[in-house]
This record gives sequence, C-alpha cells and structure tokens, in this order.
Amino acid sequence: MQSAPRNPTRVDKLRHYLISQEGVLFFIMLVSVLLLATRTDKFLTVDNLLQQGRFMTEVGLIAIPMTYIIITGGIDLSVGSIMGLAAIVLGWSWQTLGFPLELAIITGVLSGTLAGFVNGLFIVRVGVPPLIMTLATLALFRGLAEGISQARSARGYPEWFYQLGQGELLGIPTQLWLLIVTVAVFGIVLARTQLGRALYAIGNNETGARFSGLTVNRYLLLIYTFSGFMAGVAGYIFVSRVSTTRSDMGAGIELDVIAAVVLGGTSIFGGTGSILGTTIGVVLIQLLKNGLTLSGLTSDATIVVIGSVLIFAILVNNFILSRRGNS
Amino acid sequence: MKKGFALAVILALLVMVGLPLSADGHERWDGADDLAVNPLACGMGDAMMEDDSDAMMDGDAGEDMGMVEYDGGQPAMMDMDMAGMDITLVDVPKLVGIGYFAATTLGQKQAAEELGNVNVTTDAPTEANIDDQIQVIDTYITQGVDGILFAANDPVAIAPVLRKALEAGIHVVGYDANSEPDAREWFVNQAEFNGIAKALVDSLADQMGADAAFGIVTSTFTTPNQARWIAEMWAYASECYPDLTWLETLEAQEDAVLSFQQAQTLINKYGEDMDGIFAMTSVATPNSADAVQQAGLCGDIAVVGLATPNGMKPYVNDGCVRDVVLWNPVDLGYAAVYVTRAVVDGELMPGDSSVMAGRLGELMVVNGSEVLLGPPFVFNADNINDFDF
Amino acid sequence: MKKDKAAPAPRHTLDFLGIALAVVIIGAYFLLPFITQPGRGPSTVAVLTESKKANELGIFKTGLEVLPLAALGMLLLGIWNVLVPGAARAISLLLALAGLLALVYYINFFRDTPLVSPANGGEGTVMGSLGMAFWIMLGASAVAVLQALIPRAVPAPRYRLAKLFGNQESVILFGLLLLVIVVGLANPRYLQERNISDNLAGNAYIAVAALGMTMVIITGNIDISVGSLVGLLAVVSGRLAVAGAPAPLAWLVPLVVGGGFGALIGFLVAYLRIPSIVVTLGMLSIIKGILIIWVQGERVTDMPAGYFLSQMRPLGIPMPIIIMVVLTIGVALWMRYSATGRAFYALGGNAEAARLSGLSRRRLVMTVFVLNGVFVGVASVMYSTQFNIIQATPPPALELSVITASVVGGVSILGGTGTVVGSTMATLLLNFIRSAMIFINISPFWLKAVQGLLILATVLADLLRRRRQRL
Repeated sequence: MQSAPRNPTRVDKLRHYLISQEGVLFFIMLVSVLLLATRTDKFLTVDNLLQQGRFMTEVGLIAIPMTYIIITGGIDLSVGSIMGLAAIVLGWSWQTLGFPLELAIITGVLSGTLAGFVNGLFIVRVGVPPLIMTLATLALFRGLAEGISQARSARGYPEWFYQLGQGELLGIPTQLWLLIVTVAVFGIVLARTQLGRALYAIGNNETGARFSGLTVNRYLLLIYTFSGFMAGVAGYIFVSRVSTTRSDMGAGIELDVIAAVVLGGTSIFGGTGSILGTTIGVVLIQLLKNGLTLSGLTSDATIVVIGSVLIFAILVNNFILSRRGNS
Repeated sequence: MKKGFALAVILALLVMVGLPLSADGHERWDGADDLAVNPLACGMGDAMMEDDSDAMMDGDAGEDMGMVEYDGGQPAMMDMDMAGMDITLVDVPKLVGIGYFAATTLGQKQAAEELGNVNVTTDAPTEANIDDQIQVIDTYITQGVDGILFAANDPVAIAPVLRKALEAGIHVVGYDANSEPDAREWFVNQAEFNGIAKALVDSLADQMGADAAFGIVTSTFTTPNQARWIAEMWAYASECYPDLTWLETLEAQEDAVLSFQQAQTLINKYGEDMDGIFAMTSVATPNSADAVQQAGLCGDIAVVGLATPNGMKPYVNDGCVRDVVLWNPVDLGYAAVYVTRAVVDGELMPGDSSVMAGRLGELMVVNGSEVLLGPPFVFNADNINDFDF
Repeated sequence: MKKDKAAPAPRHTLDFLGIALAVVIIGAYFLLPFITQPGRGPSTVAVLTESKKANELGIFKTGLEVLPLAALGMLLLGIWNVLVPGAARAISLLLALAGLLALVYYINFFRDTPLVSPANGGEGTVMGSLGMAFWIMLGASAVAVLQALIPRAVPAPRYRLAKLFGNQESVILFGLLLLVIVVGLANPRYLQERNISDNLAGNAYIAVAALGMTMVIITGNIDISVGSLVGLLAVVSGRLAVAGAPAPLAWLVPLVVGGGFGALIGFLVAYLRIPSIVVTLGMLSIIKGILIIWVQGERVTDMPAGYFLSQMRPLGIPMPIIIMVVLTIGVALWMRYSATGRAFYALGGNAEAARLSGLSRRRLVMTVFVLNGVFVGVASVMYSTQFNIIQATPPPALELSVITASVVGGVSILGGTGTVVGSTMATLLLNFIRSAMIFINISPFWLKAVQGLLILATVLADLLRRRRQRL
C-alpha cells in the first residue's frame, strides 16, 4: 500500500508471527485445549500434562530428524522398524550375548544409527529414492528384529534402567527433559546454523544446491543417520518405559510421526517447516488423544476427530497463507 | 565406481539371502517364552481338572491348584467402602473392532445389566498396539474409574501402568490375556493353556489318527497366549502322541488374507503328507478352513482351531471342520465383571477358593490369583447353531 | 572364440546347439523312463501318469504337455538360429530359457523316488535320482547362455542384452522366472498347478488396488487410505448381500462408494490444495473410525451363494486372476493411448509444463482419485467375496503392500514414469516370494528379513538398469 519501504513495526512483527504456520497451529491448539478443558476438569492438570509429555517423547524425538528429512524433500518410513530393531538388539546383546547393560544400551542405539546410515548410504550413493529405500528397509529392519529376537523378549532389567522411562527428575518425567533439550538444540540448529540453511536449500532446489557448492550428499547422509540414531534412542526409552522388548515395537509409529510433522506445517514437498511447528504438531495430537478420551469419547471416535483436525488444520493454514500471499 | 558399489551391494544382499538358506532353520518351534510347560494326562475326554495330579510329576509344582498362595497385587486403601455402591468400570481389551472382543463386551453389558449397580464401558486402541493400550489405561486412571478390566497385549509391558492403577486405588482385573500377577488383583482365565492344548491335539488325533502330520497357522510368534498354547501342545503331543509329525508353524498376523494364503502354502507344500492344520486365532481358523474348502480337500485335511462359533458356522455346517475349540467369550466378559464386583464388595479376598458369578454359578480359583471360567468348550455340528457370538 | 571382426561369419558349432539340445530333450523324454524306472518296463506316458496320485497330478500332467512343446520350440528356434545369423543371440537366450523350463518339468516328471520333504526328516533327494540327463541338460543350457554372452564374429546388429532388460517389467519378469525355477528345483511341489494358481490369485486384489495407486503416484500424489477403504467397502458389500440385494448390486455399490470417497479426496487435493499425503493420512483414521463405530467388529456372514465372485472359476481359471489380467491390460492400454492417460504422465512429469499446455491440473487430479476409488472398490469386492466370512477389520498394513507393489513395479515416486503392468507383476512377485520362502524352509523367524532383502534387491536392480540406460 505504501510506496516507500519502511521498517517493520512491532505490530507488523506480531502479525507476522500470528499469521505464520506455527502461529495458526498454536491458535488451533489453544482453542482445542480450552474446549477440552471445559469438557473435563481432569484434563488441564499438571500431572496429566506431564504424563502426556512422557507418552509423546518417542514420537517427539523421532519427529525432529523427520522434520529435517521432509524439509529436504525426502521421507523416512523405516523409523518404526529401526526403533524395534534397536530395542531388540539392546535386549539381545544384554541377555543373550551377556553384554553389561550400559554397553547393551550403546549397542542398541548404535544399531539404530547404523540402520539409518544404511538408509542414507543407499539414498546418497546408489540414488534410491528415499520413499522406496525406506519402504524396503521398513520390511527389512523389522525382519532383522524378528530374526535376531527369535520371538523371545528380554525382561527383568535392574532398577536403574527404568529411571529414564518411568522415573522423574525434579518432578518432571526424565525422558521429557531429554525431549525438551533435544527440541531446543535441534530447533536452533535448523533455524540458525549453516546446516539448517543447507537443508532448506536442498529442499527448495536440490540441483541448485549442488551447483552452488553445497555438499548435499554429506548432509543427506548425516540426517538419515541422525534419524536412525534418534529412532534408536526412542527404542531405548521405550524399552525403559515398558520394561520389556518385543520385535513389533514401534510398528506404525512412522505414520504418527509424519502426521505430526505435516500438521506442524512442514511441507511434504520440502523447503519449508520448523521444529517449533513439529513440536506443536506432536503436542496437539497427544493432547487431542488424551483430552478426547477424558471427555468421554472412545478411541474409534478419537481417531476420526484427529484425522479431521489434520486435514482441517492444513486447510486453515493454506487459506490464511494464501490470503497473506495475496494482500 | 558407483556402478561397482551398487553391484557389490547386490552381491552382498544375495549372500545375505543365502545365509538363512544354508542355516538349518527348520527346528520345531515350541513357543517363545521360557516358562515351564505343564501337559495334562493323556486320553480323550474333558476331565482335565482331575487329571492334573499326574502332570505334577514333571517337577513343576508351581501350578498346583489351590495350593499356591495368592500372588496378585492389592490396590491402595480407599477412604470409603464401595461395597454395594454404584461403580464405574472401564474395559480395555487388546483392541476394538474385532468379533472376539465384541463378544466379551456383550457379556460385560449383560453382567452390568443383571447387577444393576455396575456401569462398564469398553475403550481400547484400534490396533493391537502395546503403547496405545498403555496410554488408554493411563487416561482412565486420570479420569478416575473404580475398576479396570484388561486383556493385555503384552504381559510385561502393561504391568507398570496397571501397578499405577493399583496405587491409585483402582481395582484391576484381567481376562483373556494375563499380565504379571502382581500388577493386577485377579485374572479371569478362560481355560488353562494345557486344557486348550489337550483339546486341540486330542481332536486332531481323533480325526486323523495318532500318526498324523500337521502344520500350524498362528498370529505372531510373540503373541503370548498363542505361544503358550503351542508350547503346551508340543509338550502334550510329545508325551501322549509321540508319532504326531510337526511340520511347520507359520505367522499370519490377524490378517484374513494372509491366514488363507499361509494355509494354502502349507497345503501345497506338503500335499498329501499333511493331515491337519491347527489354527490358533479366531481369524486364522475360518480362513484356514476356507483354504482347505477351496482346495477341495475337506476330509483329507482336518482344520482344528480356536474360533468363535459365528465365524465357523459355514464350515462346521457343511462338514469341512468337525471341532472348534473355544471358551465362551460372552461368558468370559460376564465373569470378569462379576469378579470385579465381588472384589469391590469384599466377597472375593486373597486366599478364597471360589467366587459366585451370576448365571455361571461358582467359579474356582486356581494358580493363586486366577479365576477359572471352566474347561474349554468344543463346538461341533451338533451344538454350534445354538450360539450366537 | 575371438575372431577377426573383418572376417566373414562362419557357422560356429555352437550355433547348432539348439538343435542338439532339442534332440537330447526329446531323446530323454522317450528313453529315460527306461533308465530311471527299469521296473516299469516299456513305460508310456499314460502309465507314468497313472502312477502318480490324482492330488498332485496337476504339475505332472502339465509337464507332459509342456516338455515336448518346449523341445519342439527349441528345435525350431535352433534351426532359425542357424539360418538367420543376425538373430543369433536373442534366440540363444530364448533357447536357454526354454531349456531351463523344460528341465524343471523334466525333473518333476522323471524323478523316481516319491518326494519326501526334508522337513519330514525323510531321505532321497530329488536331484539324486536324475542321473546323467540332468547334468547334460544343465550343461547345455549353460552353454546356450554363454553363447548369448560371448563375443561373436559378427555382432548381432539389433540385439543387445540391455535392450531386453530395458524396463522394469522385464526385470521383474526375469526375477519371477528365476525365482520360480530356482525354488522349483529345490522343491518341485512349488510348481504344481494349484500352487501357481493360488499364488497368482492370492494377491490379485492388491494388484487391482495397485492399479489405482500406480496412476495416483504417476500424477505425483499418493493415497495411504486404501487399507481402511477396502475394509469399509468390503463390509458395505457384504451387508448389502446379506440384506438381500442381488449379487451384482452388492458388487457395484462399493465401486460407486469408493468413487465417492475418491472424489472427496480428489476435491480436497485438487481444489483446496491440501497435499495428498495429508488428506489420505487423515482419511486413513477417519474411515477406520467410521468402520469400527458402524460395525463394532461384527463379522459379516451368511452371504447368499451367488455372491462369491472371487471363488468363481469360469473356464477353470480363478476369477481374481481374470479380473486382474483384464483390468491390468485395459488400464495399461488406456494409460498409453488415451489423452487423459497420457496427461497423467505429463502432470507427474512436469506439472508446470502440463499446465502451460492446457491441461487442467484440477480435473486430472480429481479424475485420478475417483478412478483410484473405483479400483479400491473392485479390490474390496475381490477381498469380500473371497471367503465365506468377511472380517470387519481393514486388512492390516494393506496400504504398505499396495504402495510397495507400485514402487517395486517401477513407478517413480516423483511421478511421471511407470506402468501398471509393472505394478501387477510386482504384486505377483511379492506373493511368489512369500510362499517361496516357506517352500525352501527358511527359518520362520528370518522370513520377513529375507523378504525385505529381496524387495531391496528388486529395487536396486531397477535402479542399476536406469543408470545403465542413462549412460
């Protein structure tokens, strides 16, 4: 409207944040929380919210690298299988191979990292499209977990092992600390470092990024390996929380994670997205699941609502963003 | 360079495929946990309760009926006595949306109606997922119900959240699939593992002879109930029918098409060398029967399995399947509600040896903290049309 | 072998191999029963046929017909090979394949010990009883392959190996044949008629769903709600039939309802511009929730007798195979020759260019999702009419099977390339792999891992091919 460029005022800045993807999503979350809180007084309590934090840690941890990957235009469908594989390797190396438990934990997480590295290696070196590669390893890693476990589960860990999954630190579930720190660190990494900028560049135009001298392959290899590592950590936390290992652990978690990431405003075509948005997506889904059940809905109705919210949120987002784009 | 790398990778993959081939992967599979088996005495008939003393000779005395001390947990003391008052229960089966748990829910509704002072709702994940089930239970703890009924997807994984429920003063009663004993008060046992195993193996041996060969279609190797049944079947068969030939056990998840295909594969692989198929789930049994029927081999291959009557009527009525073994899931849900009511009212205390359960009469306490529904029931052409669940 | 390229092309002894091979096979066909089964006396085909029990006869009967046919084919090809120098290598390769095929049937037919599977702890392997003839034929086949590969005096002008494997369909077909032959050698029962037809029919409904999925992916979209939709439509169809609707109506309604859901998804994707993965991720939950709330897990039983479409066998061929083949061919032709079909490729290949050339992106996306919904409807009818009872739960992880079939079949997930023939063959391959693993006694715990490896290998083979083509 004004011909001369002007410095953004505080109002402009505020409007910018409000009308950003995260702003819209945050607003949706706020509305849902308030609505749910009016339906039941059990929902908006510190205990309940902290408990939900405990439950969403695995999805939240895996969603961070998934955001990175989707920003580059890729996808990782094998995270659930990697989680199961890491859990099985942890239990197997402890119980069958007789590793000390500390070493077994490291072995488990490393096996997840290695699995992610294999994904990355094929995607980068052989050029397999990420969706196809991780679709294949979705079956492969689950199969490895089954084969290694021989359908047996490892249970009966010493007491300290459960601290991470079931214990509390300063009144807050232990794993939630881990989630908060990880989210903060990797949110900043994505938003403020060269790595983050490189990921956006790859997602916007991979060929262009290559020509402008970015070591695209190295970045891609890094984030897929990182994804495997996080799935491995999530596997460890999950074993610690439920105190046993099963080869079907984490089955289907990839869809929960992807739902949270796209709900958080990350475009499935790459190039845009943020850890903040993803975090809000993870929290929103978890709170909806919990709050709807508390207010008397059963799970079958809950999944209908969550599915609708997913579509609706993106719809609203599209609408507002296109309005902003036009004005 | 890249081509060489890709080639090397493909070669490595082929070698990896070869490894499981060369390994002798064909040992008899006998259940995945390391629990002891407790086969019943040989012979036909369903008098399994009395015969149990013989089996104790195996040195596994842990399961002796009525002699084991109560090993369940106890909820934290509540301020007020709920005896006779209205209570709200939530029922968390493994998953919702399948016929079997629809039947247990029906039984719970019947019991609640009869009692008049019980309100029970069913809510569970839409897939048999351990984490989702834990979260559902946790949410109901927060909501503050008086009692939780559960059928565990995993006995160990579910234990922490059940203990939390006990600490919150909520009564916890399991049915169908147990948890660790100290994480719940009572478990309504539909039929003992060894009883099911005996009924299944006896039926096959009766139909196809004591030297029959058979394959098994199960859900997954890690599903605890199925694993225990197969382990008990093995123990019972090797004691009582040493000439039975175990061919192979295949996984089919809870997938109708996969069950059908796995049964077809068994039929085609073994041809006339196979006389029977054991199907271990209420999905696998009808679909294995379908595979036999569509191959035109009714009578040549016997299908014996666990299934609900409604799913099996087409096959039993046309003679393709003779026996279907199952407890009555409606009664199971019914008993679970009655047991919970009795616990709340103080009528079922640790150390008791029986409990009254409405139309089912007196149910016995076994294994310390389990309420036994009764011997497994065998459905056949004579009686299957009398049931509707 | 190497000769001066300038020299004229002399007939090489190897060129006569096809004829020799055919003679060997025909000779073996008539003579070997006397050698391997001396007790039987002058055995004829009829005697041998009767000696096998009816139950497993499918394969042996077929073997009897195919073996002389294969041999005759080899004879003709061999003569052609001698007469037409340019065709030599392609013919040699075909010869070798025909030889291997004949070999497999030969093994089935002429083994003298009854099969005792290793699982039974029995003795007497199949290979042990074959004697000389087996090795002769194996060697001959190997030489024929070599003949195709080694350098020749006159390079065959048109034919190159790379061309034969120029697309993912032939890679998969080759993999399928290889699998069948190798597993058939290890366990001949794999080749019996019933097993082959079971394997072809078993995943037919996935193949039909994959037709729609392939089209969707070609346009650069994806649909992960197919599993839930199949579950819902199967119950719709079954309940209609139980309620007394005539069978054709019960078969058609799911197609319409499926198309309706497809239209809804298409509308959200095309007109409201929500990415398809988001829409279908949401629909996956929504449809599943509706299904559970509606039927509460109650199975559908007591469908009338005429309802079971998938169990019908017109001309002795299972209906699912017919539907699968007809639809695959129809869709493949439609995709290739219709304007809309080609527009799908254009849309997926380069959406901007497609827009500029006057194609309406919205209408195309709408069309492709409606079509996909209809195919899901067909798949659900094939699923619901397969058994006497219909489970009220969506088939677990069906969407993953369908997507896997599409991408293994050579559809580029970025859109623009791929064919439905490939996806159908990939579906078949996946099912043959599943049962093959059981036939060759892989430890049940490692089944999934091996399946995953084989999927990966197929994908890599496709990739290698593309790379070579690009070079």
